[in-house]
Amino acid sequence: MNSGNGILGWFKSVARVWAREFRLVFGDMGVMVFFFILPLGYPVIYTLIYNTEVIRDLPIAVVDHSRTPESRELARMVDATSALEIYDYCPDIPSARRLSNEKKVFGVLEIPADYAKKVGRGEQTQVTYYADMSLLLRYRAALGALTDVQLSLGDNIRGETIDNLGIIAESIEGDTISNDAVFTGDPTQGFASFIIPGIIVLILQQSMVLGITMIAGGVSERRRRNHGYDPLSVDAPAGATLIGKTLCYLVCYVPMTLYVLHLVPMMFSLPHVGNIWHSFMFILPMLLASAMLGQFIAVFVTERESSMLVVVFTSVVFLFLSGLTWPRYAMSPFWTLVSDAIPATWGVEGFIRINSNGATLAEESHPYVMLWMLTGIYFVVAYVLHRISFGGKKTESYGSVSKI
Amino acid sequence: MLKIFRQSLNYGWRRLCSRRIYLVSCVVVPILFAFFFMDLMKEGLPLKVPVSVVDQDHSSLSRRVVRNLGASELIDVAHTDETYADALARLRKGETFGFFIIPHDFQKDALSGIGTTITYYSDMTVFVPGSLAYKGFKTAAVTTAGGVVQTTLVSTGINENVAGTLLQPVVIAEQGIGNPWLNYSIYLCNSFIPGVVALMVMLMTCFTICEEIKNGTSIEWLRMSGGSMLCAVLGKLVPQAIIFSIIGVGLQAVMYTMVHFPMNCPAWHMIIAMILLVIGSQGLALVIVCAIPNLRLSVSIASLTGILAFSIAAYSFPVQSMYGAIGIFSYILPPRYYFLIYADQALNGIALYYSRWYYIALLLFPLAGMVGLRRLKKHCLNPVYVP
Repeated sequence: MNSGNGILGWFKSVARVWAREFRLVFGDMGVMVFFFILPLGYPVIYTLIYNTEVIRDLPIAVVDHSRTPESRELARMVDATSALEIYDYCPDIPSARRLSNEKKVFGVLEIPADYAKKVGRGEQTQVTYYADMSLLLRYRAALGALTDVQLSLGDNIRGETIDNLGIIAESIEGDTISNDAVFTGDPTQGFASFIIPGIIVLILQQSMVLGITMIAGGVSERRRRNHGYDPLSVDAPAGATLIGKTLCYLVCYVPMTLYVLHLVPMMFSLPHVGNIWHSFMFILPMLLASAMLGQFIAVFVTERESSMLVVVFTSVVFLFLSGLTWPRYAMSPFWTLVSDAIPATWGVEGFIRINSNGATLAEESHPYVMLWMLTGIYFVVAYVLHRISFGGKKTESYGSVSKI
Repeated sequence: MLKIFRQSLNYGWRRLCSRRIYLVSCVVVPILFAFFFMDLMKEGLPLKVPVSVVDQDHSSLSRRVVRNLGASELIDVAHTDETYADALARLRKGETFGFFIIPHDFQKDALSGIGTTITYYSDMTVFVPGSLAYKGFKTAAVTTAGGVVQTTLVSTGINENVAGTLLQPVVIAEQGIGNPWLNYSIYLCNSFIPGVVALMVMLMTCFTICEEIKNGTSIEWLRMSGGSMLCAVLGKLVPQAIIFSIIGVGLQAVMYTMVHFPMNCPAWHMIIAMILLVIGSQGLALVIVCAIPNLRLSVSIASLTGILAFSIAAYSFPVQSMYGAIGIFSYILPPRYYFLIYADQALNGIALYYSRWYYIALLLFPLAGMVGLRRLKKHCLNPVYVP
């Protein structure tokens, strides 16, 4: 079948590739899983995992060598914080260690024997908190709670001492300089509110790349079986093929994007303050760049399943390269360059700021431009590779050849 | 019997060496990932978070506060802004991870006792730099307030030392056991690198077994093992277990001897844990294969579970804080047990007794994998590939 000449012919080939790709996507359960089920299910599963957001009532043990009203007050204040809970009082450190070894407690607060004496004498006294470091989030929760206790206890003691000294000075007692901490993007400092907006963008990219490589694996298997011809492919120029396929993926991902970027944050009350149209405009080049990246990788795929062996683990790599956990300013120039080449890096960066911080598209112009550049670069690379690998043997549509 | 097993083993080795993708998955991917991870976070903590300062007072006191901020190792005062709006716009653009506002008449109100408020914004869309910026800001704000109080106290005639202790009568010192530097590399490499090894083990197990069914070679595979499914599976999985264990233990050697991560237990505790992690992951993958002996589906499920394992095995958010109905799933994942062993042994160096159940749990996975072998055999004898 000839695709005709001129501009019109080219558009016709794009349309035919587009239509054929739809058939391939919807006729293949494996691709459907990646294109639809995965973006539908994963955000929900991930949010459910982290939906408790913060650590509450982390059990700790108290070793109180002082055994005075003052030390008990300290313990009560610690117990009253939302992050910590006193699981038990222990007579000495070894017995507290035993509790810790049995995973009954994840921290030990040791109050020294001279605690009350020093507080009464106006000397500084040091209380020690031994933290289990297997998870830094636990340490962080305890640290925040204990810092608050330390500050408010300090205020109480200072107030009392100054009263006892008989000095009247407003500037000492009150908070002459009070401080007010504001958290943007994730005001409750919850874990789900922090990580889900980033993860959902990564899910869009990875599910699309996995789906595309699986389609390509199918194509290459059919081609092997049919002496180099794929009966289901459309004879079209490389550019038209790439663009036609991209249009198909884009259409498939429109409802998915609406769901992932808008409904998921709404369902779970995650941060969602940005203008949704800015988010959509912003994510468009990320989807295009992902589609091009997928088609670039697809050139190397020879089998439906083997690509999964290599592509799956990159999700973890891309998550870290996106700067969500380890910020990009602390990466070495080499890793910065690698992360620059991943669409999700810019997608995550821009989307979390639009979604959680209420940034506008104009404020995210840098990641936005980078995404368009990546789209262009991956298109060119995929185009060249396409020409090299399929250019010599034009595929044709045979009605009679086996379709398996 | 022994001859048949050797024959099956030979077959397994031959198949493992036959394709490049196997070499890539078994050797290249884990090593590449470990290198990536250790190199990415080699600094330990992403210090010097870029932040900005809005000084609306321009007094000697406010300049002192800004200097204090600049001296902090946590933050880097990269920009100064004139207004709140400028600073917020900068934060939205991602140039900074927080800003610190010193209000108008700061010095006047602070010294005259009227009272004033320092406000600082930390961007929590990215947790680690946001937290570090918050910590840096809070320290600066509290010490500034303390400095003013101390000056006033001394001016009323209180001894300077007493005034000093009055600022902080009680200090709660945090001692992070095993990782006092809050080193992220130690924290994450120890969980994510074995996690990737487990992921690749699962993928390889599912892929190599189901590939025989897809290609229709499963009958030949069974024949080489004298018709015994157990023998066939062992012949296939033992070579992989050996390769993965060598890679895994090698990566441990790099982590604990070359990069000097904390290692507070005899080396064999961790070596055995790694070998059991490999075997346990093979066992879990075998359960998946026996339940769904279809190449694409089983590899998909193995990858979905393998990737979810990084979250459900609680490498960052504790199981105890998850919903109970979600948290229990962490106990069907081998990486969870390896992680618990690591925390007990390498990090905390406690007695092996406390970790005994984790080792035993890892041993149970291969047993669970054997349950469905009969079903697998039936599928191997009638290989049908459904694309």
